[in-house]
Amino acid sequence: MSSPAQLRAERLEGLPFEKSTTSDRGLFGSSIRSLKEIAGRRELLGLLIRRELKARYKDSRLGFLWSLIKPITMLLIYYVAIGHFLGAARGIDDFAIFVFSGLTLWGLYSEIVSSGTSSIVGNAGLIKKVYLPREIFPLAAVGSSIFNFVIQFGVLIIATVALGRFPISWNLLYLPAAVIVVLIYGTALAILLSGLNVFLRDIGYLVEVVMLIFFWASPIVYAWSFVVRAAQETGLYWLEQVYMLNPMSIAIMAFQKGIWASGSEERINANGEVIPPQPWPADLDLRLIVLALVGLVFLWFAQRVFSRIQGNFAQEI
Amino acid sequence: MPSVIKNPPVVIRLADVSKRFVIRKDKSLKERLVNFGRSQKHKDDFWALKDVNLEITAGSTVGLVGANGSGKSTLLKVIGGIIQPNSGYVERRGRLAALLELGAGFHPDLTGRENVYLNGSILGLSRQQVDDYFDSIVEFSEIGEFIDTQVKFYSSGMYVRLAFAISVHVDPDVLLVDEVLAVGDEPFQKKCMDKIREFQIEGRTIVLVSHSAEQVTDLCDRVVVMSHGNMIYDGEPHAGIAALRESFGS
Repeated sequence: MSSPAQLRAERLEGLPFEKSTTSDRGLFGSSIRSLKEIAGRRELLGLLIRRELKARYKDSRLGFLWSLIKPITMLLIYYVAIGHFLGAARGIDDFAIFVFSGLTLWGLYSEIVSSGTSSIVGNAGLIKKVYLPREIFPLAAVGSSIFNFVIQFGVLIIATVALGRFPISWNLLYLPAAVIVVLIYGTALAILLSGLNVFLRDIGYLVEVVMLIFFWASPIVYAWSFVVRAAQETGLYWLEQVYMLNPMSIAIMAFQKGIWASGSEERINANGEVIPPQPWPADLDLRLIVLALVGLVFLWFAQRVFSRIQGNFAQEI
Repeated sequence: MPSVIKNPPVVIRLADVSKRFVIRKDKSLKERLVNFGRSQKHKDDFWALKDVNLEITAGSTVGLVGANGSGKSTLLKVIGGIIQPNSGYVERRGRLAALLELGAGFHPDLTGRENVYLNGSILGLSRQQVDDYFDSIVEFSEIGEFIDTQVKFYSSGMYVRLAFAISVHVDPDVLLVDEVLAVGDEPFQKKCMDKIREFQIEGRTIVLVSHSAEQVTDLCDRVVVMSHGNMIYDGEPHAGIAALRESFGS
């Protein structure tokens, strides 16, 4: 004749204790534990991503169209102002595809970093009240950014098909590689900056400025060939190497090499001169692999820092 | 009154738990630079908890009481894992649900239905479980047809009722309650109290922070009195309330 209360007590008796202490020493062990904890809450992660997406365009008539209107406007501005007024399009065939491919990948990166940075502070209400693996908030920001990226990428694919410029070649393999590199670095920065932003709110403003600088320091609205030419004209060859230290430069070039067919073709201009294909950096494949590996170490480091400082989130926020 | 359990197991154990808050007086970069090196002067240490040892057994209802700022809410947060202690450790087992501030996980732009799924998931329910409990949650909350309205249009009473309804459906082994039982109109308050008593009969452990001596003596079988981060009393409720009144004087 066991009462439900007695049954509950007996079940609890058999459960192991979960211990929470001040610091966990094991370097990899605790990372794996955090990963398991997050994997256990993936249903919640999915709901948080949907919340971000649903709440963003709630009560607006055009809804998700807005997530397309902005990049297409940017495309038009860069196409007209940079491409034709400033003449960047003269050296770049299919300038529209070129710019839009760069903007699409950059959009993914900048959205991950900026929405990730504010993700912990933005969820202060939850963090102060409920225990959850806190990495889930920057990860939800990453998830909703991926959703927007997929929409934009769909438009890019449709545009290349409509223009008859869809590249059917092995170069397409550069697309997933580039996206993976961006996701690794974006996620690492989102996790790291979201944690630091709790203690120093300046991070949020700093990110805006730094992202603006890196937008122009990546070959998005101008091509890599412009950088090569500038290096040759000035004789500052180390400039190329410095330029390529930016992970986004490599990722964006790989992405362009994947989707922008004109960059890898010879062409003949109106005067009958043969123009060689765009120059691509040497060892692009190797660079991508190295970047991904370095990025994974950075991601692990970011998670370690995050888990060290997250114990104080609830009182500092 | 809670039902009697033979040899109740320990569900929460705190060993030498201390929590220090640092109060910085200079928040901006300029102030920090100016005061660099002298920064110790511009920091105040504040021990919210000092060497707290506590064991809570299954099926008991424990009231945490104390003056404002005595550390009782911090203690509850440490038990819930929201705040990590500076030293010592906390051990817990069983499913833990915190009724800290109702509706903390609500998003104003989402409908009641979407928020039920989101909040249920935050509190650890699977989608399947929320599906199963959904009708019962709506019925308990008395929200009715407004469940598909965005929660920003809810009255504060509706908001709290829905949040409470979700929390009590989580099927917790340990429920942490932070001064939230005084919400809603009188019939709803009675409903909450009935639910709490039902929980006690089912052998769930309840830890509640309250300022109401009446509520504590009525519900709890054990009282912990906090004062300036120290546990000054632990035991029977009536004597606990007396100890609390005494601590106000000191």
